Amino acid sequence: MIALETISEKLAVAAQWNESRGTWWLNPGTIGVRKVATVMNEVHARFITITAYQLPGAEGFRLEYHWDLEGRLLGLPFLIAGNSIESIFDLCEAADWIEREVHEEYSIEFTGREYEPLLLRKGDKTGVNLREDPNAQPKPAAIGPGQKEVAL
Amino acid sequence: MSYKIPMGPYHPGLEEPYKLDMICEGETVQDAELNIGFNFRGIEHLAETRNYFQVIALMERVCGICSFIHTLTLCQAMEKLAGLEAPPRAQYIRVVMAELERLHSHVLWAGVAAKLMGFKTMFMTCFALREKVMDVLQAISGNRVNYSMNRVGGVNRDVEDPLALVGMVEDLEREMMRTVIPIFTTSSTARSRCANIGVLTHEKAISCAVVGPTARASGIDQDLRRDAPYAAYAEMKFEVPVEKAGDVRARLFVRALEIMESCRILRQAFTDMPPGEIAVGGDKFAFVTGTATSRVEAPRGEVMYSVSWKEGSRNPARVHVRTPTFANMPAVRWMVRGARLADTPLIQASIDPCYSCTDR
Repeated sequence: MIALETISEKLAVAAQWNESRGTWWLNPGTIGVRKVATVMNEVHARFITITAYQLPGAEGFRLEYHWDLEGRLLGLPFLIAGNSIESIFDLCEAADWIEREVHEEYSIEFTGREYEPLLLRKGDKTGVNLREDPNAQPKPAAIGPGQKEVAL
Repeated sequence: MSYKIPMGPYHPGLEEPYKLDMICEGETVQDAELNIGFNFRGIEHLAETRNYFQVIALMERVCGICSFIHTLTLCQAMEKLAGLEAPPRAQYIRVVMAELERLHSHVLWAGVAAKLMGFKTMFMTCFALREKVMDVLQAISGNRVNYSMNRVGGVNRDVEDPLALVGMVEDLEREMMRTVIPIFTTSSTARSRCANIGVLTHEKAISCAVVGPTARASGIDQDLRRDAPYAAYAEMKFEVPVEKAGDVRARLFVRALEIMESCRILRQAFTDMPPGEIAVGGDKFAFVTGTATSRVEAPRGEVMYSVSWKEGSRNPARVHVRTPTFANMPAVRWMVRGARLADTPLIQASIDPCYSCTDR
């Protein structure tokens, strides 16, 4: 079994792997996502997905990249202050659709690749599904007709 | 001269909405473009507006075939955030339901594949077998499609007499051994329609990071039930079938062998099911702030949920779903390259695609 330290050594990251709720996390610090993808290819880790989170206010986004290494779930979070991050599509073919989906849902630019045609939506509007406007007024609770408020 | 043939969004074989534009030279496919999103429902966004009861019912509707798997994956992630662990009997019931769902999915797929091969008698045989599995699912859960079995901290319904269901598993196993497996493996119709068709090489399968039977049919030995066990899978003895050819026939073999392994797991789960409670935690849960991830081996491959919660909230802050077809479908482009146009419906069907899952 490949030791997780092999990955941190290859990345030259001082941080330790930390297991939380079944996922092994590593803070990549200032290491770019393309370097991480290259190292994951070297250790034959299988790419799983990218999960995007919008941070409060105008703080940007947190993108969690997940790989599987011999049954262990690895997570590497990347904080992006603006709207863009490098694409890993040319290094990891499996990241194609999820990069396109994150681009569509959050309007995040994955630099170094094209997006057309869009994966889930027709047209050229992006960020219409999961991205929230930080200046928008809070929405009332979405309780539709026939739904009951559940007491806590 | 090359020309483009659109297949879909109303698919002739699979009855699911997606579109494959095939660029052909004569009868040979040179390349293909995939278009999805016809079934997009914005479920991940909807999940943020549902409380911790409603979100389970919502995610059960991501997929009509593996509805149990979706709620299992979600509930496992939510249990991590609530600091709960389902009791042993509930873990066994989860294994039973997951394997019944795998049987139902694989037998359904075998029927659809037989129909696409022009083998309608086998389609009828498979669907008659599937009915038997559906009867057991209904006997346990009261439902045939969305079972409402999972809850945070366990399951909603008990299996009253597990040993009484062993007979059904044996019946199914006998029928598979007597008809379905011999016909699929030895008949010249199945061989001529499936062998060396829609090949996904081992290298390409790794590069595309395909999952489930599609990966195992291309020589990738991976299965979360063994590699990262959840529920009660660590206590089950089973083999993971792997084939190397990477063609439609290999995918057929892998699923046929998995049906037998599912029967083996079901027999163990029914026989060894421990007594005790089926759920913990009551009706009120306190979730901590943070993110939890859960993975489950669905009939089509790995499903992964990332669930994020803010303490004190009753709605999740974010639910991200990665389904197996989302990982497998891009590989179809490589499978159909060089194939005859007439083989492409079967090639597409060979990954057992689910667009309800993919589009969400």
